[in-house]
Amino acid sequence: MNSKKLNLKIAFTLFLAIFLVALAVTVNTGMAQKNAEEVITAEVAGDAEGTTGEAVEEESVPYVEDEYRNFFGIDGRLVVWIISQLHLMFAAFVLAVPLFVVIIEAIGARTNQIKFDNLAREFTKLLSTAFATTAALGGLLAFALYGLYPGFMRYMTGVFHPYMFVYALCFFGEVFFLYAYYYSWDLLKTGTGKWVHIFLGVMLNLFGTALMMLANSWATFMMAPAGIDMKTGAVLDRTAAFCNFLWMPVNIHRIIANVAFGGFVVGAYAAVKFMGAKTEEDKAHYDWMGYIGNFIGLAAFIPLPFAGYYLGREIYSASPVMGNIMMGGAFSWTFIVQAILIGMLFVGGNYYLWNGMGRIKGAERYTPYIKYINIVIFFCFAVWLTPHNLPLSGEERALIGEQYHPFSKFFGVMAAKNAVVNLLILATFFSFLLYRRANKGETMPFKSHGNGARITMIITVGLTVMYLLWYSAGLKGQDLNETIKPFINPLLTCIKIQIGALIAALILTFANRGKLAQTLLFVVTVSISVIYFWYYGFVVMEKANMILRFLSVTQVSIVISTLIVNTVIDVFLFKNAKEVGGIQWGKIPHRAQYALLLLCVAIVTLMGLMGFIRSGLRMNWHIYGFMQDKSAGAFTPSIAYMGWVVSLIVFLFLALVAVVFWLATLGDKTKKHA
Amino acid sequence: MKSFLNSVIFTLFILGFFVFVCMYVTGLSGGGGGDSATGINPEAGEKIYWGDGQCHTCHSIGTSGSATRGPNQEGLAVRAEERAKEAGLASGLEYLVESIVNPSAYVVEGYDNIMPKVYDAPIMLGREQILAVLTYLQTLGGESNIEAVAKFAEKIPEASGDAAAPWVPPVDVDIKEGELVFFDESRGVTCSKCHVLNGKGSKVGPDLTGIGAVQTPQYLIESVLKPSAVIVKGFETMYLMTTDGMAYNGLLVSQNEEEVVIMVDEDGVMTEYVFYPDEIAQMQKQDVSIMPGNFMDMLTIKEFYGVIAFLLSQK
Repeated sequence: MNSKKLNLKIAFTLFLAIFLVALAVTVNTGMAQKNAEEVITAEVAGDAEGTTGEAVEEESVPYVEDEYRNFFGIDGRLVVWIISQLHLMFAAFVLAVPLFVVIIEAIGARTNQIKFDNLAREFTKLLSTAFATTAALGGLLAFALYGLYPGFMRYMTGVFHPYMFVYALCFFGEVFFLYAYYYSWDLLKTGTGKWVHIFLGVMLNLFGTALMMLANSWATFMMAPAGIDMKTGAVLDRTAAFCNFLWMPVNIHRIIANVAFGGFVVGAYAAVKFMGAKTEEDKAHYDWMGYIGNFIGLAAFIPLPFAGYYLGREIYSASPVMGNIMMGGAFSWTFIVQAILIGMLFVGGNYYLWNGMGRIKGAERYTPYIKYINIVIFFCFAVWLTPHNLPLSGEERALIGEQYHPFSKFFGVMAAKNAVVNLLILATFFSFLLYRRANKGETMPFKSHGNGARITMIITVGLTVMYLLWYSAGLKGQDLNETIKPFINPLLTCIKIQIGALIAALILTFANRGKLAQTLLFVVTVSISVIYFWYYGFVVMEKANMILRFLSVTQVSIVISTLIVNTVIDVFLFKNAKEVGGIQWGKIPHRAQYALLLLCVAIVTLMGLMGFIRSGLRMNWHIYGFMQDKSAGAFTPSIAYMGWVVSLIVFLFLALVAVVFWLATLGDKTKKHA
Repeated sequence: MKSFLNSVIFTLFILGFFVFVCMYVTGLSGGGGGDSATGINPEAGEKIYWGDGQCHTCHSIGTSGSATRGPNQEGLAVRAEERAKEAGLASGLEYLVESIVNPSAYVVEGYDNIMPKVYDAPIMLGREQILAVLTYLQTLGGESNIEAVAKFAEKIPEASGDAAAPWVPPVDVDIKEGELVFFDESRGVTCSKCHVLNGKGSKVGPDLTGIGAVQTPQYLIESVLKPSAVIVKGFETMYLMTTDGMAYNGLLVSQNEEEVVIMVDEDGVMTEYVFYPDEIAQMQKQDVSIMPGNFMDMLTIKEFYGVIAFLLSQK
């Protein structure tokens, strides 16, 4: 029976390999034949010369440096697009997993719960096989870039060659610490050894993050070049080229996105294992693993839109032209597709949590609320999806009397979208709080948690208040036109109200009214950040458009402060609370596992889409504003074409992941058989 | 195995949905392609306005487009005539040309000074394309006059993608030293006393943030050595004589029906003076910049080129 299964798996692997090769060869869209034609032309010219003069035959043809090549007739850009995206996806997984693996291991070491240690080890096992694939794809990407874009890479090497050596050293560091971490698990499993092992994991993360940041600087330099003469390309300041304007925003966005990505991918792995599990023990294990994966994914996903805002704002600051291309030009429609994928993630994440509440005794107390959260989420999703410019026919326009629909136009603008994305985040956070308290009953008085709890609360509220004060001081100091400046005042007032609410929440928590404190913060934040700023967004759009950017940051700041303080209140509120019933791991319906799969496919697709947007924003420039892309492929593909290519990439990635994970589990089976 | 196959089918279903959405959105957005525009005429200009020129990403026209970063261009031709009169220009067309060639010259109140020079990277419209856009803009509330537009051809810089020969200062310079000189407040000559750079400095003269991205070394050298050769719009010196015979030379800070504010350099300290209309006997723009013209006496050669190299590095 087992050998039959193994044969099936080998046959499937072979099929996948043949399929991938076939895809790579057949996906030739007919673009970028220019170089191939040039080669043919050159050959024909060479032949002609050969027939007219014998002297030419004796002379060797002088070496000419190509600027562009293609890959056996396939457009070079398509090849680089697919390989780089695959490399980025594997790299995201390989960089993200150690981040939470070390945390899980540390939790296990601190609480003496072996299940956490086992889980961390299982994740690391996936990591070690995925790492080799990442490295192989990285090498392939380097060959593809140097082979297909030699002129561009010559320049990039000229600018960044010292950092390329650092990259290679960091890579060695990561390899060393990864394998030291993985293979020393048994050796360093007790006492001080365990913490030495955790230290190895921390070092692995440090080297991994450094690698990511090094590579990021090259990509962001292409978007926002710095430290070079923009006319001649002369390198004026290599450090400035490295620490270019978009480097840090992309670093922050990528670290958070990678964690969400890694969490959802391991969640999907657990879902597939759960559905194939034969024993209750395995089901319970993979159910728990899926829950942890989803928890990590969602926890990182909630702050991701904020990092996205920050990155978007910085792109706009780096180049208003690029910012306009992104939000108002060629790429604005891709954000509709992005909204659908993000909507899928929020809906999928919430759906999984609600299904998960089914395995928790006591959760039935909260199930009536779910339908309201559902309504809120779908409402937000609908608003987010509404485009500003609905394409209307002449008849429709005549009927309405204007270009925009009189009602839906209010949902298409940024003010509305900012409001609903914050509401979406708050609703998902609320869902998560319900899940957390599903099996909790009577809570302990706050003072029973001791001074540590008090100090933690004061520090948390203190830091968030200080941040809000610092931000409002920055707002006050903005050098704005006198006619526009008064529009800042409502933002400052809202921040003051939020600060008041945070302090009130602190006092209420100390007075054992934690639930009331959380409710107060939710009510105040929704009133300000969603309802009032939605309205005020329209006001500033009409009268003082430039205030809109301050408004969205104020919105985000207020929401973040609520998320942080409410989380800390929740931790202490339900610490040592009586349990109404236990969690029956493994007793979760299969449809919840499909929600985990949906989350995985959606985040991988989202990463592919955002990769296209980030890279495509440069339009026909290799290095924006300095080096033009003069290849035949230097145009922005249609969204439909992008959809096909990204789908292919996602499929290839998931297929490779399946193979890699299957290889990772082969060793276990051998042990079982032995 | 069955659960795995189900997962594969489910994944393919989601990817199929994603492709469907992408194709649907492509249909909604009108696809990716478009006819290329040629010639100097409103039709070509309109295509450039909504396409390669990317004008629509900041300016809507009436109810077409949704951008609000720049002024709505409906009735632009009429408004351009009014503004031309206010600015002392010969025609509305000249106002439009000036606004494109030097976007900072006339920034409409309530809007940021964010418009890029469309003939520079990354937009890089050709001269003919800009002329075509001008003919289109004339149709917004007026009629196009291709002949009149063509007369401005020489005023519009030609976009160039060719790399120029690298500028090398005649002496070895250190950009860091140039930066120190720029911000050094301990010496008599301090650029940041009058120029803002990356948020630091005073706003007496033009903001130099990102100056290296838009100006050539030759322009910067000339601007320092001969400040009056080219005076940035809005920073011309104003000569004002009061009814009691006092004369003032300074920068015009603001001017309205109730008062005129002028900033005067008094021994290195910039002081604002407010004049009421009944106090003013004469007021005239001067061709002389307020910026001192003796920097060669105050800086060493190395310091001078260090400052130029530093400014050029500000992209």
